[in-house]
Amino acid sequence: MASLIPMERYRNFCIIAHIDHGKSTLADRLLERTGRVTARDMVTDQILDDNPLEQERGITIKLHAVQMDYTARDGRTYTLNLIDTPGHVDFSYEVSRSLAACEGALLVVDATQGVEAQTISNLYLAVDAGLEIIPVINKIDLPSASTMIENVKAQIIDLIGCKEEEILLASAKAGIGIEDILEAVVHRIPPPTGDPDAPLRALIYDSLYDPYRGVVVNVRIFDGTLREKDKVLFMATGQVYEVDEVGVLYMEQHRTGVLSAGNVGYFTAAIRRVRDTKVGDTVTHAQRPCREPIAGFREVKPMVFSGIYPADSDDFEDLRDALEKLALNDAAIHFEPETSAALGFGFRCGFLGLLHMEIVQERLEREFNQTIVTTVPNVRYLVRRTDGTELWVENPAQMPEPVKIAEIFEPYIRAQIITPTEYIGPIMQLCIERRGTLLGQHYLTQTRVDMAVELPLAEVVFDFYDKLKSISRGYASLDYEYSDYKPGDLVKLDILLNGDPVDALSTIVHRQKAYEWGRRLCSKLKKIIPRHLFEVVIQAAIGSKIIARDSIAPLRKNVLAKCYGGDVTRKRKLLEKQKEGKKRMKQIGRVEVPQEAFLAVLSLDDQS
Amino acid sequence: MRTARPIGLYVHVPFCQHKCAYCDFYSVVTLEAMERYVEALCREIALRAEFGAANAEVVTVFWGGGTPSLLTPAQVEQIARALSETFRFASDVEWTIEANPGTISMDKLRLYRQLGVNRLSFGVQSFDEHELRFLERIHTVTEAEEAINSARAAGFDNINLDIMYALPGQEPQTHKRNLERACRLGTDHISAYSLVYEPGTPLYTRRQRGQIIPLNDEQEAMLYAMTVAILEDHGFRQYEVSNFAREGKQCRHNLLYWHRGEYVGFGPSAHSHWENVRWSNVRNIHRYVEALERGELPIAQKEQLSELEQRTEYVFLGLRADGIELQSVVEWVGSDHAGDVLRLIEQWAYAGWATIEQGWIHLTSAGYALCDALTVELLDVLDRAHEAIFTHR
Repeated sequence: MASLIPMERYRNFCIIAHIDHGKSTLADRLLERTGRVTARDMVTDQILDDNPLEQERGITIKLHAVQMDYTARDGRTYTLNLIDTPGHVDFSYEVSRSLAACEGALLVVDATQGVEAQTISNLYLAVDAGLEIIPVINKIDLPSASTMIENVKAQIIDLIGCKEEEILLASAKAGIGIEDILEAVVHRIPPPTGDPDAPLRALIYDSLYDPYRGVVVNVRIFDGTLREKDKVLFMATGQVYEVDEVGVLYMEQHRTGVLSAGNVGYFTAAIRRVRDTKVGDTVTHAQRPCREPIAGFREVKPMVFSGIYPADSDDFEDLRDALEKLALNDAAIHFEPETSAALGFGFRCGFLGLLHMEIVQERLEREFNQTIVTTVPNVRYLVRRTDGTELWVENPAQMPEPVKIAEIFEPYIRAQIITPTEYIGPIMQLCIERRGTLLGQHYLTQTRVDMAVELPLAEVVFDFYDKLKSISRGYASLDYEYSDYKPGDLVKLDILLNGDPVDALSTIVHRQKAYEWGRRLCSKLKKIIPRHLFEVVIQAAIGSKIIARDSIAPLRKNVLAKCYGGDVTRKRKLLEKQKEGKKRMKQIGRVEVPQEAFLAVLSLDDQS
Repeated sequence: MRTARPIGLYVHVPFCQHKCAYCDFYSVVTLEAMERYVEALCREIALRAEFGAANAEVVTVFWGGGTPSLLTPAQVEQIARALSETFRFASDVEWTIEANPGTISMDKLRLYRQLGVNRLSFGVQSFDEHELRFLERIHTVTEAEEAINSARAAGFDNINLDIMYALPGQEPQTHKRNLERACRLGTDHISAYSLVYEPGTPLYTRRQRGQIIPLNDEQEAMLYAMTVAILEDHGFRQYEVSNFAREGKQCRHNLLYWHRGEYVGFGPSAHSHWENVRWSNVRNIHRYVEALERGELPIAQKEQLSELEQRTEYVFLGLRADGIELQSVVEWVGSDHAGDVLRLIEQWAYAGWATIEQGWIHLTSAGYALCDALTVELLDVLDRAHEAIFTHR
């Protein structure tokens, strides 16, 4: 039984790595070496990324943990808990919570790529959490690695101040150095501490929804012992549940009935929504609570907002069902009904970031078969009105009239960009265009620089990452953390079609950019909106002031010359198709707008 | 006394010497199967004796293709005999044969007349050698003119010419010359089609590959307006999107299609309409012949039209041709939605796309140019009314 293993034989650790630096492959190799999976199980690579989206994008979205037994060279058998971490900036809070569940971390760096921004920020989180860091240079078998290894070593030493001999060399793919890594985990990472008899203190680092048993809560036990039938209290939400099932995580859930201090595992308690199990919350016994919750809990707040509407207005209820089901397994998504004159009934949804938004959109379409229209994402603004009151604005359409606004505040981020030095110029240029301020730069090596830039989040929301990647040929990496709200000279830009405002196309932009923005948006819409039987005038306006205008000439000819002789059916089908096409459009006054128009702003840079 | 039930007959002759670059009607360029085809066709006609028994009276006959003028005189006679043995013809039947100016002769024209053919339709397309080559027509300008003159000499007083325009890069002047030349030849009817790039045709492929650039909407609209103006100047009246006739020379067979009349089609890919069922024959000469040799009808598709589909047909066919009756549309949508229909038609009238005369909605030539978009607009209103009525039930 797991509970009989003494605490000093446990090791709890995670892996910190940049996308594609081999985290998942290394995890697979460790599982294989410890006999947790056989080589035969490894049909698809990267067992821990089980969501198809994760496999496609090569990133981890949901956390996973797995327990393995390793008999070390000292002859003793250790129980290792590997806790996976999400690999994207949108989920940095979740990363911090899973790091808090560990005593050590493997820092995996690609021998041919070197350290990247995301690695650094996660590494700092790990160092802050007091974790023992084991640096591993991966992919040493690649032909180009030999010349780079010394360089990468220098970067790592510079970063964490370790000794050169502490850096392990490995190739997860080729199975080189795996045992050294396991030995280092056993001997360099300290065992957990804690008192199995003290009041229960368990940290929730993840949870997932199971349709049969309710939420499966993943926890690290710091103190005390968790048993089935225990009444547990979730300290942040104040909810009490009776525990149904307790166990540890192998590749599947393995019921043990008990989980005590130092260990990592799961429990279920007929909890209906993952939202009720907040990541970072502390679970304790209801009858014998601990004195203090585990530090570091915070409510996850959405940073990026967008409207999600059913493509066909009749499907509103279906979309609501889909969002509710999706939220069972995604505690971070926020949504509430909203109405748009242009799009009808839909939802204003809040996301952790752009990736999270994309994931939600894709899941809605793939898992829930919803055809949706999404509006351009925006951030949350704080508006101080002239009468002194304040208002949070999550939807540009709700922005008060210009005369009633005293000041608008917008969220900023502190971005860390790591790039080869030759791209500093273009990247600086991009940051300046996006209203950024360089806070400092630090040379990691002679050819790689770490830039700290402060940027308005709203400017990053629009394809900043894609731009950064393209101007640096994919070499620059980005990570960011949210900083604070600052005042900005912002205006609401409205789009009018034949005089009717299109609420779903309103955006909030910096005043200096409004003219250029309006002009480009008008010309983009001109390309997307089909010709009508009448002229369509597209205008961009700030308040009542028109700042840009374009127009679509009326249709001149729309008839097929032939009626196909006696083949009336063919003609009828062609007309029905034309009619269906019309139905898929959204009606603004008399103007029919294709759904892609609502995301037109996102691709304003397309030069065509 | 039972009243006669008017029907039309269509015969599809799916053979061509060469396939034109724009054409997507069914035809083959090998002529070997012609004998078996004629046999099969006559069998198919005989299998349809039921329509004769239903007191049907044939008011129009149309032989199209392909190239009906490729048939030998004996074959023409054989088919004509099969038709007249099975069906009862009205005394004033309109009987049209499509002819390619490159495959017609005085002998054939005389035979047609003897058999009772009283209307000819020549696929002339253009009076410009360069354009004829582009379209891959097999005849020359001279041959076209000679064919028309011969037809007149043989006694035909009802002749249609097909003219095609809006060819890539076509100058308005070229089109004008084509039309004027067609008019000068004493034509009674002109079908002027703007070039449509149909999927599967060589021109479609070339356009997809960017080898030819079609005219834009403005250019096409201009040529269309010009067509209407020139033909009206020469005494033609437009009675459908692409069709123009002198007084009394409208094609009754076409009108039968557009008025949702009943007709039976024979030959591969031919279409039929009878008692609100539409069906079509297989689009393959071999399968067509084989089915009939087994004694089976060569039907590929068949559909019973719902009431809504019948109304849809009435609207789009009527708008394309000589109009729809306002009263019947208003009755369909009921008093709650009559206003929507009337508002739309008023908008059309205001924009100069339609006129309302004696309770009929007719498109103007500007309206014809936008016919499909207008049709979809009206159908949309009808659909919504229908849905509303449906949900209220």
